[in-house]
Amino acid sequence: MSIELLVLIALAGIAVLSSLGVLLSKDNFYSSLYMSATLIFVASIYAIFNLQPVFVLIVFIFVGAIGIVTVAVAATYRSDPESQFSKPWAVLVVITAAVVGFAIYSYKMLNPNLSFGMIEFELINFMSQSEYLILVLALVALVVLLLLSVLKMVAWGTDD
Amino acid sequence: MVAIDMTTASIIYVTSFVILLIGYLTAISSKDVIRLLISLEMMFGAVFLALIPLFSVAVLANAAFGIAIVTIFTSSGELLILIAAIGILDRQKRDIHTKVIKMGGDRV
Repeated sequence: MSIELLVLIALAGIAVLSSLGVLLSKDNFYSSLYMSATLIFVASIYAIFNLQPVFVLIVFIFVGAIGIVTVAVAATYRSDPESQFSKPWAVLVVITAAVVGFAIYSYKMLNPNLSFGMIEFELINFMSQSEYLILVLALVALVVLLLLSVLKMVAWGTDD
Repeated sequence: MVAIDMTTASIIYVTSFVILLIGYLTAISSKDVIRLLISLEMMFGAVFLALIPLFSVAVLANAAFGIAIVTIFTSSGELLILIAAIGILDRQKRDIHTKVIKMGGDRV
């Protein structure tokens, strides 16, 4: 087993453990911190496949902007911690997980020679650097516009 | 750099499904809307993870990156609106627990 595969298994395992922390934590604040950690580990899996542009987008946009706002909202609306874990639904989720796990296992057994190939993504092949910058700037501008319209919406809610 | 083979793809898909199912369970068990928001972000994280094997198909690598960009920005916008909705719900109901949200529906 190569060291890269071990790193992948370790990162995947830590991501799953962090997501379990989200479920089992009673306080929303800690839950949101665990959620941010999960997303950072998911982004790290992208990094070990040499997909750094996606890593940067997930960490900066998704965790850096939305994740931090979620942590701030969870910290603002802090109330008495209570367990938010439903055991009857957990049984159904475990059954679903078993079915999905069996589907993946049987697919692997039925297609032993299935190959995916190396990941050889180059940002320069996606589009030219200037076009890529313009695209990302346009998308960030759209998010900022959305943020402004959301702020206006919340302000209208205050007037009511 | 790790090459994608069946074992690697299985690890990625299993991790993605586990995070997705934990996100589902968190959403179903949630008693307030903030926990609902957190569970949604987890589900989007699972979607991001499931995109990785798409990059290993040489002719789809650029399309996969385009899908990743659109997914990241779309989900961010969606979650931003949900955060605003939480603020509005708190102002109107003075509460963020899901039990205060009553179903509407048509009246016969």
